[in-house]
Amino acid sequence: MLAINAINADTSFNFTFETVDRDPEGNIDLYAPLCAEILEDRSVAHVIGCVTSWSRKDVIPILERLGATLWYSLPYEGFEASDHVVYTHACPNQHLLPLLSWALPRFGGRGYLTGSNYIWGWELNRVAREVIQEAGGDVLGERYVALNDINIGHMIEEIRATRPNFVLNSLVGASSYTFLKAFAELAKADSFFTPDNCPVLSCNLTESELVEIGDAAEGLISAGPYFHGARGWPCQGLRNFESSLEAASWAAVMELSQLLQANPGLEGAPISELLSENTHRSMIDVETHHTALPVLIAQVKDGAFQVLEQWQDIPADPYLSHSERRIDIRLPKLRIVK
Amino acid sequence: MKIRLHIPDLSKLRVAILHRPHATVQSLRRQCKPIGLDVFDCWPELPPKALAADFVFFDADMGYDAQFPWDAGAAPMPMIALIGSEAPGRIEWSLSQGADAQILKPVGDGGVFSALLIARRAFEVRQSMRDEIGVLRGRLSQRQTVVQAVTLLAAAGSSEDEAYAKLRHLAMARRETIEDAALRVVLDAQNEGGLHDKFGKY
Repeated sequence: MLAINAINADTSFNFTFETVDRDPEGNIDLYAPLCAEILEDRSVAHVIGCVTSWSRKDVIPILERLGATLWYSLPYEGFEASDHVVYTHACPNQHLLPLLSWALPRFGGRGYLTGSNYIWGWELNRVAREVIQEAGGDVLGERYVALNDINIGHMIEEIRATRPNFVLNSLVGASSYTFLKAFAELAKADSFFTPDNCPVLSCNLTESELVEIGDAAEGLISAGPYFHGARGWPCQGLRNFESSLEAASWAAVMELSQLLQANPGLEGAPISELLSENTHRSMIDVETHHTALPVLIAQVKDGAFQVLEQWQDIPADPYLSHSERRIDIRLPKLRIVK
Repeated sequence: MKIRLHIPDLSKLRVAILHRPHATVQSLRRQCKPIGLDVFDCWPELPPKALAADFVFFDADMGYDAQFPWDAGAAPMPMIALIGSEAPGRIEWSLSQGADAQILKPVGDGGVFSALLIARRAFEVRQSMRDEIGVLRGRLSQRQTVVQAVTLLAAAGSSEDEAYAKLRHLAMARRETIEDAALRVVLDAQNEGGLHDKFGKY
């Protein structure tokens, strides 16, 4: 909404956005009907939203039927390139692969994988398992819990028993918060599990959840295209965003505005038509509808993410089929035996 | 070190779409691009370069046997049927061509990636079963040779059981199948003549 207000206030644009909003309140079965409700009034051509992959997959058939476009601004698990979606946040070659390529040489190849029982956790851990094994590491355990399940004691017990080099946390919501708090307790009881020795890695945790997690977030390492205070994408440091989610939504609205400004008369057109007519520079890849993004690795220190490493403009590879779009993993030949 | 993932890597694979120029072809092409596939379409016949394709999508609605440069069901790559009319006759024809997976028309925003993976797996299973059946058929047809070899060996004065044990021994010593050992015994006997003299050797 901030971005939309900014566009509407900006007189250099010869149009203003009018918004229609619906809140499915996280109820997975409401996304599709509410999306249809918005679109059936044919003046709406672009929808910004959805959080989970389920909700995105649910609204795609509606977008297809009505020729509309979804701007999806959250990290996701890849293996999709819908003609009716623009993906402005990262896919695995822009979050998981760089994160592992950075972490494995530093901490070692013995990983423990956690996730919530749905496609995000399943696919992320599947890719992680392949990458770890291919690099000569080991997956010591892989556990899932249902969405919002906070019974994570068995995971902590297994981690305590297997003593991995790192934990990849693809849990979401309450499960994730409970897990991080329990893991922080474990670290207090056993110094093996401090962030310097056995960090928790994530591709989905951002500043927007730090308050909920509290002190337990200290030391957490996350990958994303933006962290609060970063310069560069999406607007060269001219504006600060709370998190990458806000930054990616901002980027979506700005990109849409620029496309509409550069291509008058195509306000109601599907994104594929808008992109094929467009001759101006666009951040959207015409083939995949994904965006080239920076990749930042950041760690929570004193309640805020501090960037430890970054790469610029990594093109998206949603099907992981372009090895040249991958950041290579190098495991040291000699490993320290602890 | 380049990491090679076992995640299905279909990049640079060649895909032939056998379908008349149509929106279906456009939708398939659009879906193939982000996966990294190299696509060409053709109609009404598959050109020779199709023999080098890694996958073939074919129209189940207007297709006919003569379009393919191979016998029905003997395609050397996974085949994916593009089905519009779900009439039993057309489905039967698609199956006779060896369809390993299908996509329903009109082709929309998805379906290609999963069809490719399902077709590839079905094709691999079919190929390995075909190979195994070939080997088993060969061994079955060699049963007659085994019987012959045992008879020849038994003629040297041992019982049938002893002759069979001898044959197994020969096979084990040469690290070959019992059928191959039997064939050698029979050929030796034919080449040398004088069977009784011959079996003194064994």
